[in-house]
Amino acid sequence: MKKIKKLFKNEAAKRILLFFNENPNCIDTAKGISLWIGYDVALTQKALNHLVKENILINHRTISTSAYAYTNNKAIVKKIEKYIKNIR
Amino acid sequence: MNASDKKEKKDFLIRFSKSPAMSSFRKLCHEILAKSRCIVLDAEFNRLKSEKRYGHLSLGKYLARQKLSALKEYMAFKCSCDKVCLSLPIIQGSSIYGYILFIHLKNEPDIKLINAISLFMDMTLKEFQKEQELGKLYDTIRPRAIALSTIHTIHRLLSSTLDMDELIERIARLTLQVMRSRYCSIMLLNESKKYLIPKAVIDLEKEIPKTDKRYNTIRVGVRVEGRVAKTGKVFLSRNGVCVPLVEEDIIGIIIARNKTNKAAFDKFELEILSTLAEQAVIAIKNAQMYAEQEKMAYGSIKSLAALLDAKSPNTYTHSEQFVTIVLAIAEEMKLPREDIINLHYAALLPDTGKFSIPEEILKKTGSLSRKEYEIIKKQHLESLKIIEHMEFLKPAMPIIRYHHERYDGTGYPEGLKADRIPIGARIMAVADTFEAMISRRPYKGRKTSVSQAIKEIEKNKGTQFDPEVVNTFITIIKRPEFKKTLAMPIS
Repeated sequence: MKKIKKLFKNEAAKRILLFFNENPNCIDTAKGISLWIGYDVALTQKALNHLVKENILINHRTISTSAYAYTNNKAIVKKIEKYIKNIR
Repeated sequence: MNASDKKEKKDFLIRFSKSPAMSSFRKLCHEILAKSRCIVLDAEFNRLKSEKRYGHLSLGKYLARQKLSALKEYMAFKCSCDKVCLSLPIIQGSSIYGYILFIHLKNEPDIKLINAISLFMDMTLKEFQKEQELGKLYDTIRPRAIALSTIHTIHRLLSSTLDMDELIERIARLTLQVMRSRYCSIMLLNESKKYLIPKAVIDLEKEIPKTDKRYNTIRVGVRVEGRVAKTGKVFLSRNGVCVPLVEEDIIGIIIARNKTNKAAFDKFELEILSTLAEQAVIAIKNAQMYAEQEKMAYGSIKSLAALLDAKSPNTYTHSEQFVTIVLAIAEEMKLPREDIINLHYAALLPDTGKFSIPEEILKKTGSLSRKEYEIIKKQHLESLKIIEHMEFLKPAMPIIRYHHERYDGTGYPEGLKADRIPIGARIMAVADTFEAMISRRPYKGRKTSVSQAIKEIEKNKGTQFDPEVVNTFITIIKRPEFKKTLAMPIS
């Protein structure tokens, strides 16, 4: 939970996590996600890379496209869901 | 007015009373009406629970006593604490939703001021309605827009590969992602259309080996998968969803099972999977067409190679082992798939450039004269004209054209140096020299041993050959499969 709390301190990461918690079926590019969360593309991209490293997002990568999706790990999804419920 | 209408109006009023538009209205009225308070009442003059309580005034009751339920105009009156109150109706269309009551006024406001407040309240109400409509639109459109964007992204991800195995695996992984399921299987019908062959089976819990029973073929008409393949009708249950892959006919099925959060699959998800299946079919068909095209291209190249071989065996083409070495180096160097395919084409016709070189020069055992070398350079480019009209060979042409270039720039036909020589040509140069050294040719003396050939190639690293290619060649040539086929000790 501490790690999640830390992630939520970054505004882009926070918006991304809120977005995927609400839309777990979504797969989109950094540009697309930045549009949905209403945040700067470069900062969104940076946060996306970080969240991939943390195994919270999955990067579906091809030569021409990099798309991001929410993890299928039940435990991580539950933890984030719980954290969001607490802060609301 | 029935109960549901009443409830709907009350809900509307509660939302309105809490809206940012109403908050601005309250602030403004507080200023212009000498710090009066403002309360929202329902159509029956009851204070909303969300509104502040002003205990000493029973305004609702007072107004109710006045039987003003259908009052559509403003009303000013004195309340029990001897101050003035002003009520304005909240009207939507032709019905009254409630009232706004200003209390603690010192005097009755001027009629012009009341009209202005009334107008401002209408504007506030309209603004709130607009907010509500936008909110509704946002709630209905946004999830669909996100789903649409997801499908578009999936289309991009699927159309970026033409390799069938990679594509099927990718479809399965994306299905797991979009359906939030733990299991996905993709099955394609065999040629007779009687059986479904599993092409990808993914379970998030564990890796499934190809020997697992889930990789068993299923007869069409049997089990959920078989029935969907037979009827073309989708299947939806609590724990599974299965859709057919339909082009003109049914070509297979996608099935997803068990959601990660243990919830039930719903119609929206069925719709999403059906759309994903449509994208998948297009990608599968493209990959199948590409494979067919590739097969035809290989067929044409092999026919041409056989034709050249009939003229002079082993002059224009090389052994299968040569092709294997070339491809092994390329794969070890992690060249893109497209480059490897072109290199494969080139490796099947490496010496087409010799086609119009006189045979006495080709078979000469000693060193070449300057004149003979000039003939080779000229004829090499001339000969390539016989394949330049084959469109699919165009990307392979530079590899065939430049594989006689040397890394130090002293080769032919153009004397290109280092990285200016295409990577495929640099790879073929190493394999070509290796094969020439270890094979016996009628015009050549005795063949060189494998170990000696490797040493010779290593010796020319950086001068004749690209050092990175040579290092890779030395790595792959020591692999057991080459040790065996070359049947020679490799140190």
